[in-house]
Amino acid sequence: MIIERSPEWEESFKERLEQQDNWDNWALYKMTYEVEKANLITEFTGLQSPKYLPNLTPLAHQLDVAQTVIEKMNGKAILADEVGLGKTIEAGLILKEYLIRGQVKKALILAPASLINQWADELNNKFNIPAIPYKKKSSIEYIDIVVMSMDTAKKSPHKEQIYEQNYDMIIIDEAHKLKNHKTKIYEFVQSLKKKFCLLLTATPIQNDVFELFYLISLLKPGHLGNFEVFQEAFSASKHDLDNDEFLKELVNQVMVRNRRQDTGIEWSNRKVQNISIQFTEKEREVYDMILQLKDVSPVFSGSFSMITLQKEMCSSKEATCLTLENMIQNSNDEEGLEFVHKLMEKLMSLEINSKAEKTYEIISEANDKVIIFTEYRASQIYLQWFLHTKGIKSVLFNGKFNKSKRDYMKHLFKEQAQVLIATEAGGEGINLQFCHHVINYDLPWNPMKLEQRIGRVHRLGQEHDVQIYNLAIANTIEQNILDLLQTKIDVFEKVVGELDEILAFKKSI
Amino acid sequence: MFPQQVHEYMKTFFQETNCQIIEEDEHYLTVQLTIDMDKRIMNRPYYWKYVESTNGVPAPSQLTLITDQNHVSSELRGEIVHFGSYRLNQLFKATKELGKYVQMFENTDSFEGQTILTPYLGVNYKVSYLCDKTREHLYSLGVNLMTGKIIDDFQDIVTQIDLVSDLPDNAFPLQFIIKPLRGIERLDLVINNIIQLDDHTWVEEADKRWKRDQRVLDYFYKDIDEKPECYEIEAKALEERYNAKIKIEIINGGLFYLR
Repeated sequence: MIIERSPEWEESFKERLEQQDNWDNWALYKMTYEVEKANLITEFTGLQSPKYLPNLTPLAHQLDVAQTVIEKMNGKAILADEVGLGKTIEAGLILKEYLIRGQVKKALILAPASLINQWADELNNKFNIPAIPYKKKSSIEYIDIVVMSMDTAKKSPHKEQIYEQNYDMIIIDEAHKLKNHKTKIYEFVQSLKKKFCLLLTATPIQNDVFELFYLISLLKPGHLGNFEVFQEAFSASKHDLDNDEFLKELVNQVMVRNRRQDTGIEWSNRKVQNISIQFTEKEREVYDMILQLKDVSPVFSGSFSMITLQKEMCSSKEATCLTLENMIQNSNDEEGLEFVHKLMEKLMSLEINSKAEKTYEIISEANDKVIIFTEYRASQIYLQWFLHTKGIKSVLFNGKFNKSKRDYMKHLFKEQAQVLIATEAGGEGINLQFCHHVINYDLPWNPMKLEQRIGRVHRLGQEHDVQIYNLAIANTIEQNILDLLQTKIDVFEKVVGELDEILAFKKSI
Repeated sequence: MFPQQVHEYMKTFFQETNCQIIEEDEHYLTVQLTIDMDKRIMNRPYYWKYVESTNGVPAPSQLTLITDQNHVSSELRGEIVHFGSYRLNQLFKATKELGKYVQMFENTDSFEGQTILTPYLGVNYKVSYLCDKTREHLYSLGVNLMTGKIIDDFQDIVTQIDLVSDLPDNAFPLQFIIKPLRGIERLDLVINNIIQLDDHTWVEEADKRWKRDQRVLDYFYKDIDEKPECYEIEAKALEERYNAKIKIEIINGGLFYLR
């Protein structure tokens, strides 16, 4: 056992004894003892910070996370609670604890631009932490706790300014944006000194387990060997992770994840329905023609645009039409063009959109607030028009909206409209607990995106069971997407633990 | 510390260090720092070097410190201070620097005639158990420098007594038999004893956690004969994190002449 003592005090005391001079003030002597007492860590376990947060009553699972990260993970962790369990609160608790213990003086918080003010507000109001949103002209050397967008941070001159600061703690919200190690932002974060570092994401794995490698490597560089070793160990097959005791152990060392059912809070249920829709005969004809495109001309056989077109056709003719028009403009293959024009004509003459009809049916039955998620702007606008003709008022929502417009749309939806139609980008950072019907009008490739969508309504404060409707058109690419989503969820579950029921048929397998 | 306690703390601190409080209510105070305090907490060495080398007129700073921003006028400019804020930690640090060594005498009533005062050495220790977790304990010990008797919770006892820094008129302090430095040695032995008798399963537990982490790390390098630098760095980091040690610090101490 190493025992350290320092002789300093004794030496200076000796000098004072000899000179009978230089004695300190009695009040300050007593205060010193009191300060030590107030700052004393009296137990190996336990947090000091909750006592000093009169404006906040953290939930049990949030306190657990803060404690685990501080005591077991040394302040470097991936906070991967499911959407809506309060990762911001957890991060705030951890930051506050280190501030109180005097281990953090300066902290940098990187968040999506739309969430910067929300972060600053929460830290100030709930935690009494004087966080300040970064403005282009702020000089960060004078701000101890700064909140900045990732996009700003990774660019010059901000990047260099950040490197010059000596941040004790880095908090990164929506950290799944770091899954690709070739991006600028990854490189930027990698080069930051990380005494303490929190990565917040509900979706640490979106497509495969290697994304986790890069996230963990940020926190524990070198811990996973290099990528080749890691790959060898875990990629006998990408989706075969049965002998992964070590990976799980490692994940437990750096990642905490709470699921709804772990929280001890009574959560409303999720009721998921996969609804299979039949195309009309005419729609089917158009879909088949799209499938034939690749045989008609090599110009149209690029698999990416083929897949896009099929997906779009399952969404709306408006979405399909835009892509086709682009193709026409970029092509001069006569024979092919003729076919495409014929296809366009057929497409535009379609009068019924089976999926939209089904959507209307669901909305009417629900007779309540409904959120529709679609991948395409064109479908979004079409759906608004379509619902309007049926006398249903809707508002649009997308990721490009700034904070005040978002807030306004949310307000309109809450007070006046029955339906909110959101595109993918609208999924993050908006809370709509007052609604409990979600229609996934199109399905994304990525199961975590589905989870993010549902998380908008299925979060703390939701009082009703949440109804989720996944729409898929029978015998089309959407069927494949459903299958693929399933495989991906399996990978995720093996590594991180069970995922909530995102897709209905999960249970039956 | 709650905002009110923080406020009281700062107020006492500045009063005791002769910094004049210019303005205050329950939720904020504005203080004129002395030159010494400015040097301690304002972190502007170049300014002071400049003033001193040019024989300029020193202008120590004024600080406005707000403990509850919700109860002050929004016009008021100042620093928000809370438990955990940098400024407060800095004041804590200054306090500790200025409150390390005392020599105090028990106050006596001049009507009582001559009073004999017995010398004591009082030392406040902080003992930290450090591994990947931390546990700290304060021990306040005193030793009678005439008899060698050890007294527990010494700080609690002396804070109850009316003490003054100058020898009272009618008081007669005894010359110690045990020298103060010998006294420290005796108290150190007491601390060692306390540590030895304590439960140290925490060391074994830290060791188990260390081995477990090491095993995971090794797994990722198992077929590599020549371990690369990044492996060594990680292994070293594990050692620093889990290797158990005990730190003994003297927070403050002094001579006390008591009845």
